[in-house]
Amino acid sequence: MAEIEIRNLGIDYRKPNSDEVFAAVDDISLSIAAGEFVSIVGSSGCGKSTLLLSVAGLVKIARGTITIGGRPVSGPGPDRAVVFQDASLLPWRTVLGNVRFGLEMQRWTGGDLTERAMSMIKLVGLARFADYHPHQLSGGMRQRVNIARALAVDPQVLLMDEPFGALDAQTREIMGGELLRIWEGDKKTALFVTHDIDEAIFLSDKVVVMGRNPGHIKEVIAIDLPRPRTQEILDTPQFTEYRRRLRAHLAADMAGMHFMEEAA
Amino acid sequence: MAMVATSARDTGKSRAARNWRPDRSTVISMLSVAVFFILWQLAPEMGWVNGRFTSQPTQVLVAAIDVILNDDFFYHARISLAEFSLGFALALVVSIPLGVLLGTSRTARHLIDPPLMALYVAPTLVLLPILVVSLGIGMASKVAIVFLNALFPIVVNTIAGMSEADPKLIRAARSFGASKLDVFVRILLPGSLPSILTGIRLAVGRGVMGVVVGELFVSQAGIGYQLNTYGSAMRIDRLLVYALVVSVFGYLLTVSVRALENRVSTWRPE
Repeated sequence: MAEIEIRNLGIDYRKPNSDEVFAAVDDISLSIAAGEFVSIVGSSGCGKSTLLLSVAGLVKIARGTITIGGRPVSGPGPDRAVVFQDASLLPWRTVLGNVRFGLEMQRWTGGDLTERAMSMIKLVGLARFADYHPHQLSGGMRQRVNIARALAVDPQVLLMDEPFGALDAQTREIMGGELLRIWEGDKKTALFVTHDIDEAIFLSDKVVVMGRNPGHIKEVIAIDLPRPRTQEILDTPQFTEYRRRLRAHLAADMAGMHFMEEAA
Repeated sequence: MAMVATSARDTGKSRAARNWRPDRSTVISMLSVAVFFILWQLAPEMGWVNGRFTSQPTQVLVAAIDVILNDDFFYHARISLAEFSLGFALALVVSIPLGVLLGTSRTARHLIDPPLMALYVAPTLVLLPILVVSLGIGMASKVAIVFLNALFPIVVNTIAGMSEADPKLIRAARSFGASKLDVFVRILLPGSLPSILTGIRLAVGRGVMGVVVGELFVSQAGIGYQLNTYGSAMRIDRLLVYALVVSVFGYLLTVSVRALENRVSTWRPE
């Protein structure tokens, strides 16, 4: 049974300071099975973050439906947690306080909050930094806190919006490996937005390629690589083939974009 | 905001002062104070200035003891303190909710912002004659002027603190199912606390000024009344004692609020 079922989804945006409405994404249909890791790739402006935030219940749906485990999404819920691109940590709270924050907001009743938060902090490897404030941490560490905060509420679905987008290449690679290690632990259904093709293939069971104007799904590519995966997989012929296919898709989208800019 | 920028600079300075070790700047400051007192003491003796107008540190010290022992000092101080405390407390009670409302509701801001800014920029002291006419020459008019003087810095800084709240934090909170009240209590309030305290600190100075000027203008008792009395009587030594009391009071209160401000601002990146 599909965990996340998106049917003919359309989301409208109103331009700031005007009444002009345009579709950010339109007519999107997608099924994600329970325990599946799905990445969404596409050039900037293709609505991939919008799609993710609509599953989170943070964006108003104009047309179509999203259901999770059969229940329609009408707002944020305890079955989902979001890892944002910007760590979005409360600067006046410590690492521990920030990981506790999601639990507090959800009125967590599954045992001691601090204990729960600490075990998540250990999971992301920040046990020594529990008393630190966000401004004392590096970008990669802040994202670890961001991930720990989302995992702490034990969601069925983990939604990640370019969580490593602002990190340098090495940190990014390490974080990808870490994320996979954590995910292998309990295989939550995961939706992961990125513009990094290698990252998408490395992490996913399925890569969704999106195009622009309005945002739509161009293709869904199943990634048939064995798990657990390590960095060595990046040099295998299958991986290279996936990379080639995805690049071709994105290149076509970029070419279309240039054409439109010249026409304008 | 200019005020917020000032507070950031202040924070750095007092942090340095906290690890007690007289560094270069402290030594220079203390030296300058010492030189000032020595010059003040010497100038009338050497005939550089007329001692009738400037008095001398030693005379002021003698006058201070005299004032405290024989001048109903505590009676006047209590009146001024009561006027200040009442007006300031009223300002706190009104300004923080008002600032919260204006900082969170765009409609309210559009509605009240122009008259508010006009009142903030204009010196509230121009309202003093009206206040005296309507509230009389007793304590009420001074309470009112302290209230008006202290109100605006707190309102303006509370608005700034509220509207500077990071929308990303609010979105993150919402993703965990935070209610509007949660967002207010857990994000808006702690996030704007440093700004609110900056406003309170600025309001202390304006409130102290309000009470003194109010009493100078028209009154029957209080520190400002005494200042007026000794000013007319050319008792510069006693006048300076009262002036000193006012500035020490304002200084101590400002320093305490700033200490509080620094405590809650530790998370702010430099």
